[in-house]
Amino acid sequence: MRKHPLAGPFLVYLFVTVLCAADFAGDTDKDRARIAARRNWWAFQPVTRPAVPKLNSAWPRTPIDALLLPAMQAKGVAPSAPETRARLIRRVTLDLTGLPPSSEDVNRFLADRRTDAYERLVDTLLASPQYGERWAQRWLDVVRYADTNGFELDAERPHAWRYRDYVVNSFNTGKPYDRFLREQIAGDEIWPGNPEAAIAVGMLRAGPEHVVGGNQDAEMNRQEVLIEMTGGVSSAFLGLTMNCARCHNHKFDPILQSDYYRMQAVFAPAIGKDIPIATDAERTRIEEAKRAHAARIQPITGKIAAIEKPYKDRLTAEKKSRLEPALRALLDQPKDSLSPADREKQRNAREQITPSWDEVLAELSPEDRTRRTALRQQLHAINLDEPEPVPAAYALENTAEPAETHILKIGDHRMKLGAVQPGLPLILANHATVPSTSTGRRRALAEWLADPAHPLTARVMVNRIWQFRMGTALVATPNDYGLLGSRPTNPKLLDWLAAEFVASGWNVKAIDRLVVTSAAYRQSSARDAVRDRLDPDNTTYWRMNKRRLEGEAIRDAVLFASGKLNPAMGGRPVRVPIEKEIYDLIFTEYEADNLWPLPKDRSEIYRRSLYLLNKRSVRLPMLQNFDQPDTLSSCAVRPVSTHALQALSMLNSDFMAEQAAAFAARAGTVPRAYQLALSRLPRPEEQKQAAAFLAAGGTLSEFCLALLNRNEFVYIP
Amino acid sequence: MIPRRSVLRHAAHGFGAIALQSLLARAEATNPLAAKAPHFPGKAKSVIFLFMVGAPSQMDTFDPKPALKKFEGQRLPESFGKIQSQFTDGSTPILSSPWEFNRHGQSGAWVSTLFPHLSKCVDDMTFVRSFHTDSVVHAPAMYQVHTGRILMGYPSMGAWVTYGLGSESENLPAYVVMPQPEGTPEGGTPCWGAGFLPAVHQGTLLRPGPAPILHLKPQAGVTPERQRATLDLLQKMNAADTEPADAEMSARIASYELAFRMQSHAPEAVDLSKEPEHVRRLYGLDQKRTAEFGGRCLLARRMVERGVRFVQIYSGGGPVSIQWDAHKDLKENHEKMCGMTDQPIAALLQDLKQRGLLDSTLVVWGSEFGRLPMSQSGNGRDHNMHGFTMWFAGGGIQPGRTVGETDDFGLFGVGDRYSMRDFHATLLHLLGLDQNRLWYLHNGRNEKLTDFGGQVIRGVTG
Repeated sequence: MRKHPLAGPFLVYLFVTVLCAADFAGDTDKDRARIAARRNWWAFQPVTRPAVPKLNSAWPRTPIDALLLPAMQAKGVAPSAPETRARLIRRVTLDLTGLPPSSEDVNRFLADRRTDAYERLVDTLLASPQYGERWAQRWLDVVRYADTNGFELDAERPHAWRYRDYVVNSFNTGKPYDRFLREQIAGDEIWPGNPEAAIAVGMLRAGPEHVVGGNQDAEMNRQEVLIEMTGGVSSAFLGLTMNCARCHNHKFDPILQSDYYRMQAVFAPAIGKDIPIATDAERTRIEEAKRAHAARIQPITGKIAAIEKPYKDRLTAEKKSRLEPALRALLDQPKDSLSPADREKQRNAREQITPSWDEVLAELSPEDRTRRTALRQQLHAINLDEPEPVPAAYALENTAEPAETHILKIGDHRMKLGAVQPGLPLILANHATVPSTSTGRRRALAEWLADPAHPLTARVMVNRIWQFRMGTALVATPNDYGLLGSRPTNPKLLDWLAAEFVASGWNVKAIDRLVVTSAAYRQSSARDAVRDRLDPDNTTYWRMNKRRLEGEAIRDAVLFASGKLNPAMGGRPVRVPIEKEIYDLIFTEYEADNLWPLPKDRSEIYRRSLYLLNKRSVRLPMLQNFDQPDTLSSCAVRPVSTHALQALSMLNSDFMAEQAAAFAARAGTVPRAYQLALSRLPRPEEQKQAAAFLAAGGTLSEFCLALLNRNEFVYIP
Repeated sequence: MIPRRSVLRHAAHGFGAIALQSLLARAEATNPLAAKAPHFPGKAKSVIFLFMVGAPSQMDTFDPKPALKKFEGQRLPESFGKIQSQFTDGSTPILSSPWEFNRHGQSGAWVSTLFPHLSKCVDDMTFVRSFHTDSVVHAPAMYQVHTGRILMGYPSMGAWVTYGLGSESENLPAYVVMPQPEGTPEGGTPCWGAGFLPAVHQGTLLRPGPAPILHLKPQAGVTPERQRATLDLLQKMNAADTEPADAEMSARIASYELAFRMQSHAPEAVDLSKEPEHVRRLYGLDQKRTAEFGGRCLLARRMVERGVRFVQIYSGGGPVSIQWDAHKDLKENHEKMCGMTDQPIAALLQDLKQRGLLDSTLVVWGSEFGRLPMSQSGNGRDHNMHGFTMWFAGGGIQPGRTVGETDDFGLFGVGDRYSMRDFHATLLHLLGLDQNRLWYLHNGRNEKLTDFGGQVIRGVTG
């Protein structure tokens, strides 16, 4: 034999463990110099509230407009005319609630001639419960929320949904953003024993987690969890790509590899745990219900086992007879009498004669198969009544003795360099420190981020609000304010909004209100050849941006038009009917007969998309085709792609056929269909067009399907 | 095939809307799937990736290890250290291969008796025996093969390739995926996902039969004429909604025309009944064992013929008994899985070659890892990420070679070992794409398929 094949790997191991350990001895002067050189980067400067220019123009309604107008003038573009009131109410209602306005809402608004009618409308919408649902959809993109773990088993997280409801509720109640931030990073530390705060830290566990059997590298798995927590907080709140410094000093930003691991050390004590939040009475009730449920199931599983047993026994006997005689003989020996080698063989022999579930099923007689299938169906029906688990928060607990955090060479957990203490990125720390005690690390991180003087926190959030309402962000890379990120298109506006945000008590609704009542927001979204040439990307906001609704909002709007929408809020995630092709994508190595149980109460399948089970490995085509994020990394900006599969599912899917029919039945006439879908009556030529379509043999259902597919329906005007 | 222009004219016909025509023409210019020039001339235009779910054993297929016979039943020398796999810890005895190996073709490549048909094609193939991945668990290793990382959420190869090259097909998806009918691979949909690339680049499931693509078929009772009438109404409404300068809305109008064309073309493209009898026999459509996988291989050829850029076929999925995951009963398992795939894959290579398509079609056979020389459950093998074989054919590769090697037990790659980054760099290179010029900005980072770079395997590319 040649050179030992492991000689290479062994030398690498030796090198890594013995030699590299000396590699990291704290940050060097060179490192610190690197940081100092970048200290003047715009995003690291304190927010200063710019003076709002006094302009000789009647256009501005808010300071936002006064800060936008000079930028327009510099490009030689003038703002657009105000949007029509009919389109404006559709725009702002879709924006703030994710649902179209009803025709009654529209009529009421159009009839309201008070000068502040629009502001009153905005206040009503901001106070509606759908406002929080709309925001939650967006926030959940940023924290990459899903209801399952991801990876092959992709098990459901039975308590994760409480975090989703927490987010809805936080936006609805006008929770100050600094409190919202503190709760999600360190709620359990700052408000111990408070169930809402425990649920809030579910944000730190929102990312994917690999849970699988067999021999596991526990340290690697733990690293992955910590990477998710560190990266999740950096993207959502800090607006920096800390994860880029996991393997080496950040290539562009003044973030050292040690900065990354100091921040990771903040999370080192945090271990994922479901924290009970049930009252004793609740627990007793549910546990009793569980026992009763088990008692209903047991006789059926017993009958199924009895059907299978003779087949299993026969297969086992057959397999046994095919074993080598020596091995077969071992099977009957008492384990204690065997040598270790024979014991291993005996174990192997047992595995070899055990039939797999599908082998057993393949053997069943037609009668037994029918009986068994009926029993399985009975079982699944009973399981729809399975009591919900005892309420718990999908949360964290600090371990008393957190593992030491090491810098990892090229991010590899097997290549530990020097140890680091928990801390904040040097460039931004500004003398803030993190204690090395187990509890209190996350609190220190949260307090540092929630400091009104923090240069990034407020800028990051107001930019998200602006992007949400205006369609494009001021900083086009909302998760990255570093050197590779985009510069703000209007730095003064960004800073004014950030200062105003902090001054308002971190009030998200107040900023939302400011934005949607601005003259900029209330402009027409029509194109203009001249201005399109001068500012083709509309960076000065000389017109409003039209925006395609997200797949979730399209589905909600379809249900709204058909009248099927079930407006119930909150609770456990809901499964909706899926096509066989999608069902087949659910991975299992076992019997695939009940992988997607539909709710007993069918009105549940018409809930808002926010409440649909978000399963990482199986996406719903209608949502996925419209660029629903995969929830595997933070999504700050959804791409808008346009392709034929969208058209196919919008024209041909069972869902759309059913909804178009319900919509037609509800509308009855073309004008009413226009009102329900587009919040307006048809124009005369549209009325004619519809009449011609129907006269040529078209049905109202087909007409309604076309209406639900048209650009006006799927775009925020 | 009807040229795109005349379809557009046809679509506009009936409402004579010149405006609609100009909207469609504009949309065409911004079509994200329009064919794009490669970075440099590449021979391969399309890829067929044959993925063997669960991991075939390299020392029982393409990488003979006579030493296993000699050390049968013994433990691996202690000098190897602890070999941790997913279920075993390296202490189980060595298991020799139940199959004989022979040299084949002019190239003299070694193939075991598991592949009587494929062994006739070795002169068109090049084997790389020293690939490695970074996880002994199926799903992460599958993600690494498909996307370059052991994590979920990165764009798959097919997504990157259609992002880089667009599609040659006007009427079919650019990237199609055909899983095993019994179930999905463990890695599931992220194996053909678009990750953070726009959703247009995701793989589209393709199935044999009358409804090959999800939602392709209109609802029962909707005739093509009725659907066209509804579509004409919709397009008239859309033309009224859309300003000429609005590329996004114009693209939406065009997407409905493509969907309509797809409805009429896709069923024809998957209709295997039109294939002559000798071709159907070649792929084994006349035999129970091979008919299913043979059908998918034949579909792959028909897709490539019609300009589809990337075709991904899975052998295995769902129950363990229908995967290559031979933790026990290696013999029974591999004879079954090879029996289902050997003839169809050989047929695919021969058929592509005979039609002159092999030069422009890269065919890759591989898996998420290989298997261990030691046994599990007495007659099976656990996972081995340290060294395993994949092979390449067509697409401008240098055929007839065997590149890289494993140690005497087939456990570790030795000498030139190749990572998935190298695999991906090679694949992109054959398509004329430079791994460093194919990037996408995501969360502050220019993401690439090969991350911090791979080596093009020169033994494969010549």
